[in-house]
Amino acid sequence: MRIVSRRTLIMFFLPGGIFMGVFLVCPILKMAIDSFYTFDLTGVKSFVGLDNYIKAFTTASFLTPLINTLKYIIIAVTAELCIGLIMALLFEHEYKGNKIVRSLILTPLMIAPLVAGLIWKLMLSAQFGIINQILKNIHIIKDTNSILWLADGKWALLSCAFADIWLTTPFMMLMILAGLQGVDSSMIEAARIDGANKLQQIFWIKMPNIKPVLLTALSIRIIDAARTFDIIWAMTQGGPNNSSEMISVVIYRTLTRYNQVGYASAMAVIFVIILIVFTLVFMQSLWNPKKNYEGGKS
Amino acid sequence: MTTLKSKMGKYIVIIISLAFALFWLFPYLYLISSSFKPGSQVVSIPAKFFPTQLSLENFSALFSRIPAAQDMANSLICAVCSTIIAVILGSLASYAISRSGAKLSVMLVVLVLCLKMIPTSSIAVPIYGIITNMGLYDTRTALIIVYAAINIPFVMWTMISFYQGIPMSLDEAACVDGASNFYTFRKIILPICMPGIATAAIFTLFLAWNDFLISLLLTSINATTFTVGLSAFLSAYSMDLGPMCAGAFIFSFPVMILAIFAQKYIVRGMTAGAVKG
Repeated sequence: MRIVSRRTLIMFFLPGGIFMGVFLVCPILKMAIDSFYTFDLTGVKSFVGLDNYIKAFTTASFLTPLINTLKYIIIAVTAELCIGLIMALLFEHEYKGNKIVRSLILTPLMIAPLVAGLIWKLMLSAQFGIINQILKNIHIIKDTNSILWLADGKWALLSCAFADIWLTTPFMMLMILAGLQGVDSSMIEAARIDGANKLQQIFWIKMPNIKPVLLTALSIRIIDAARTFDIIWAMTQGGPNNSSEMISVVIYRTLTRYNQVGYASAMAVIFVIILIVFTLVFMQSLWNPKKNYEGGKS
Repeated sequence: MTTLKSKMGKYIVIIISLAFALFWLFPYLYLISSSFKPGSQVVSIPAKFFPTQLSLENFSALFSRIPAAQDMANSLICAVCSTIIAVILGSLASYAISRSGAKLSVMLVVLVLCLKMIPTSSIAVPIYGIITNMGLYDTRTALIIVYAAINIPFVMWTMISFYQGIPMSLDEAACVDGASNFYTFRKIILPICMPGIATAAIFTLFLAWNDFLISLLLTSINATTFTVGLSAFLSAYSMDLGPMCAGAFIFSFPVMILAIFAQKYIVRGMTAGAVKG
């Protein structure tokens, strides 16, 4: 029995649909159209076909941020997964007051990315930053100017990733913890009786069982990390020398500073297509129960 | 022997997890201590964790440098209003989608999922164009409707999974009794879904409150939110790090408190939905 008729479906969807249509679908369509044009200073547009796309794939102004974004995702998400897993396994243990400690560690979750960026900018600054001071005190570096976290192209992207890791590892922990609590305790008990030690229990019982949760958390984090804007803007604004430039930053800059609407739109279209393809592929493999089962066995 | 060993293990776990928690809270604690230092001590060399004297200098500097009170009010109004709109419209639309077997509804789900993936930075400028065309530049209304639009896909995504946990027989019974779809939704489904609504609302509220990019583009003087106000310190010299810390602290402290209280509610809401499913 179909409860909601087609007509009601449309009527219920329409109010929200109008909002999304005007502020999400329209901008995307406009972006897709603009990507085939160039705009001169007076705003007159002329059709250039695929030139903007060819430019994106042949110049460093798009390829460097693309590689930076990939690096950033790999650094941040790997660290978040590892630390989040360790934390979840730690906080899985029940003891008096563990709820309080757990909620304390979850508090960064809701902090604005901009604020997280500001905090880490303050801590990582070369002369008066506390991180370099601590490193100096424990004799890892000689002078507080030895590592210029934000001013040195080698470190800038990593520094931004620190803020991201700090901000979102609690999310990873929360997801993994939820997964771990769903693991059947009798399975772990059985493994223990069979003589499996703690590490074996983690890798052979817990990990395969929380694989769906892990994959969901990973996909959410990868997409969020790819879209990072606030943190980069607060900490380095893409500098020095474009070493921490990410796709979202370069799109924003191309639009607002250089006013190249066509080129920026082409970059945005490529970016959106990459994200959507990634999501659909990931979701499909996630929703395919047979695949999950086989993955779980291996 | 084994009990001693397991007891030792337990203490080690407690100590390690406490160390982790302390380590994780360190950046935030440093922000708090910095905002209560006198302005000059924030940038003192060498850097110290504890202030040698407490001072509210940074806070008074903050309020004289940027219209902090107005920015805070803007942030709050925009976040609350957009959340209300997004939750109402999103939950209504997703109810119809989850209860309709039509092919159209599957298409809409995919559409919503794709819209959820769109990076705000890439569509920000067309949105700017639309808002200026509507004559809404630098108004709260602009921020409210744009936040609402951006967050509706998120609300829908959250609510669809909640609705799926509620047996269809409830709707069918109401339908047989002659209730309209809207009546069923409002009187029967919504009360059951309150945990879901709360979860969606809390996350939407935080997303809107924490937004930076949209507000940066759509406001200039009157409707600036607190994040945009804070970003004024980004281009400034190191002397302004003090007020910046104070601002970051004022802005994030209510969120932290709310997150601690709402956390119980979110977890309860989530487990309730899971059990019903």
